[in-house]
Amino acid sequence: MGTFSFGSYYPGDGVLYRLDPRVKLLGGIAFLIITLLARTCAALVPPALFVVALYLLARVPAGRAARSVAPLLGIVVVVGILNLFTDHSGATLVQLGPLAISEGSLSSFAFISVRMVIMMCAMSLVTMTTQTLDLTHAVERLLAPLARFGVPAHEIGMMLGIALRFMPQFATELTQTYRAQVSRGARLAGGPLSGVRMLSSVSIPLFASIFRHAETLSAAMDARCYHGEQGRTRMHPLRFAARDAGAAACLVALAIAVVAVSALTSS
Amino acid sequence: MIRCENIVYSYDGATRALDGVKLTIADGEFLCVLGGNGSGKSTLAKHLNALLVPDKGRVTVEGLDTADPEYVYDIRSRVGLVFQNPDDQLVATLVADDVAFGPENLGVAPQDIEAGVARALDAVGLGGFERRETHALSGGQKQRVAIAGVLAMKPHVIVLDEATAMLDPRGRRGLMRAARALHEQGMTVVMITHFMEEAADADRVVVLDQGKIALEGTPAEVLTHADELLGLELDVPPSCALAVALGRGGVAVTPQVDEDAMVAEIARAFTGAAAQGEAPARPAAGEAGGPAATGSSCPAAASAGEVCLALKGVSYSYETSSRERARRSRRRASARRAAWGSDPNEVWALRDVDLTVRQGELLGIAGHTGSGKSTLIQHLNGLIHPTEGTVELFGADLAGRRAAAAAKGRVGIVFQYPEQQLFARTVFEDVAFGPRNLGMSESEVAERVREALDSVGLAFDEVAEKSPFALSGGQQRRCAFAGVIAMRPDVLVLDEPVAGLDPAARREFLDLIARLNEQGLTVIMVSHSMDDLASLADRIVVLNEGRVALEGVPRAVFARAEELERIGLGLPAAERMARRLRAAGVPVGEDVFLTVDELAGALCSLKGVRS
Repeated sequence: MGTFSFGSYYPGDGVLYRLDPRVKLLGGIAFLIITLLARTCAALVPPALFVVALYLLARVPAGRAARSVAPLLGIVVVVGILNLFTDHSGATLVQLGPLAISEGSLSSFAFISVRMVIMMCAMSLVTMTTQTLDLTHAVERLLAPLARFGVPAHEIGMMLGIALRFMPQFATELTQTYRAQVSRGARLAGGPLSGVRMLSSVSIPLFASIFRHAETLSAAMDARCYHGEQGRTRMHPLRFAARDAGAAACLVALAIAVVAVSALTSS
Repeated sequence: MIRCENIVYSYDGATRALDGVKLTIADGEFLCVLGGNGSGKSTLAKHLNALLVPDKGRVTVEGLDTADPEYVYDIRSRVGLVFQNPDDQLVATLVADDVAFGPENLGVAPQDIEAGVARALDAVGLGGFERRETHALSGGQKQRVAIAGVLAMKPHVIVLDEATAMLDPRGRRGLMRAARALHEQGMTVVMITHFMEEAADADRVVVLDQGKIALEGTPAEVLTHADELLGLELDVPPSCALAVALGRGGVAVTPQVDEDAMVAEIARAFTGAAAQGEAPARPAAGEAGGPAATGSSCPAAASAGEVCLALKGVSYSYETSSRERARRSRRRASARRAAWGSDPNEVWALRDVDLTVRQGELLGIAGHTGSGKSTLIQHLNGLIHPTEGTVELFGADLAGRRAAAAAKGRVGIVFQYPEQQLFARTVFEDVAFGPRNLGMSESEVAERVREALDSVGLAFDEVAEKSPFALSGGQQRRCAFAGVIAMRPDVLVLDEPVAGLDPAARREFLDLIARLNEQGLTVIMVSHSMDDLASLADRIVVLNEGRVALEGVPRAVFARAEELERIGLGLPAAERMARRLRAAGVPVGEDVFLTVDELAGALCSLKGVRS
């Protein structure tokens, strides 16, 4: 367990940690769009420097940052290679039957790979510096304006929060059930019939457990006076501060830089 | 003040879960509600804070009727309810957010919530735990977080609905300590339980049976009605059981709930005679003799059978890389620890464990949660492999893949709460799962299912075609047992087989285990109940922090009271009382007493020698 570490929370303190999670979430999305605005390799320099500066600001060690992004590098490689063979501009360098690698394809391979790595590093940083619970809170608040169109914003946030809370527990229960059934000789390999039996012997107890937990959890929430959003307060209400405005300003400056460099270098 | 006026409640309209309960709970009272499974005690708990509303009769909380929807949240914030399962009732990932959930729902101002959360956590001994993740806490700590979550709503009454049932003794003690502290501060505490020790602390005890109040009074008045309590499928506290056993042996003493009072009472009955004969007391006791007088001087087991399982120098770490292990050891030195409880940062789950199991014996494994018990048993059929050392089953090293696969059929493990692993459409299918995995023919499978159900006391014709989910809790556990027994293992490993059962079901299961062992099955039973181990085991291994701390026949192990005390496991009730009697001058001899009946026998024959 615990091999999947993309953007898992890295405990720390600093201005990035204290930013409003809504700003971080929207800022992350804005950053993705800004990076997509870049048309040339030179235009990727400002976002790259920006991300490096943020990692330094958050004091996330380089090794930890690399480990966090590593699981997704496979996607970068696949997408990059696809591009390697689709762009045919410039002089052809290698010809392998129908597949050709040209100068243009090589530079678009580099461009796309670098751009994706920058984007992943940025998104990973958002989740590394924000507790999942704050993120669900941010989602809830960002969806709140949609409530008048019937989007159950509060309920979605609540459900996300509870799902996150129960995730490690179900993982533990699944391991326990798996071990119990293996002790009774269950094997995945050993014919399709025993495979199916094995899967159902592990999954059905899990579903039974989910229903059991749901029933008592709802009683426990009732007992603690939960009655939806109405009249509910928060221990840590989200409030915008001056630093949030600063973050927005930085992003605007970055967007201008990217567009400007793109315009200057693409001719 | 809570007033229940003849309340009647039925879940299905046919059977009454509560049948005319009349009960008044005074402010500041510590009330204990006792009852077996199905007695209606949890239903009553849910009535106290308007989670359920009576069909007939009325419940009022400080004058507010629970049936009036307008007062629902006033009532629920005044009467806090803590549930049984520590895993079911926490809503948030972080401790502080969970504790804040109630006040947030009540619309408390943010700055007041934060202070309230800190106060509530302090009150349950978890100050400084705000930023911990709830799933990483021990069961007892989770329950205390749940109490804090209720306390943060500033209730006047706190209802603990079997809140200790799923905890180990240490977790239970921590929870009781928190409950007593709250009561001392003036909180009304309603404790719903089937543990008698907990009832002994209460101001008043109410015993429920089939939805009616069967007994009511002070702990002394109620708990000394041994026969009636046994009839209601409840236990009596060991001190009362001793008095009853003495009474049967012709020594009349008044039963006392408190052990110290009981010891004083017995001492009074005996020292009248002992006053003249202080000196010959010791030899007299030696003559009187308990059943096995050589116990304490015999450290080794009476080894009869052939060795079937051998663990040699087994160490196990959940951290597979040695570099990471070293890093964690360093971090552990600086990590902050809980005020009480086990340490999740421990690097080695098991360390240098040597252990042999002989055919036909009943080996008890004792230890706290986190002592390595569960890790140890998973080694026994090759589910996990030691980081260092070897495990051999009938001479075959389980490190080999083939040996590990074969071990699954020969060593059957029944995990904790095995009923949670039931999955099939019918009981037959579920029990047949193991034999089918072993590749048996259908006729053989059917024979084994019948035999297995029979051996756990379930009638094949009655249950085979039923859904396992339709069985009662105790039957479900029997069915899960049968699923392992159907594999005809040579060794049966049981992890806390009676956890979470009520006293009647516990007794039945312990009898079942003893019977299986008598029929020749080798049994390894993991338990943290010293009384269960004392009465059943041939040999006991005590684990502490992943190491074997003590090993030997029960009398030898329990003779080392100081070491057990240091580990925090304590003694069986009989030996505990015997020690106090000795200290009070009653010459019960130097034997180690395993059961209350043994101690009563020794006391009776002592009286016989005297008169």
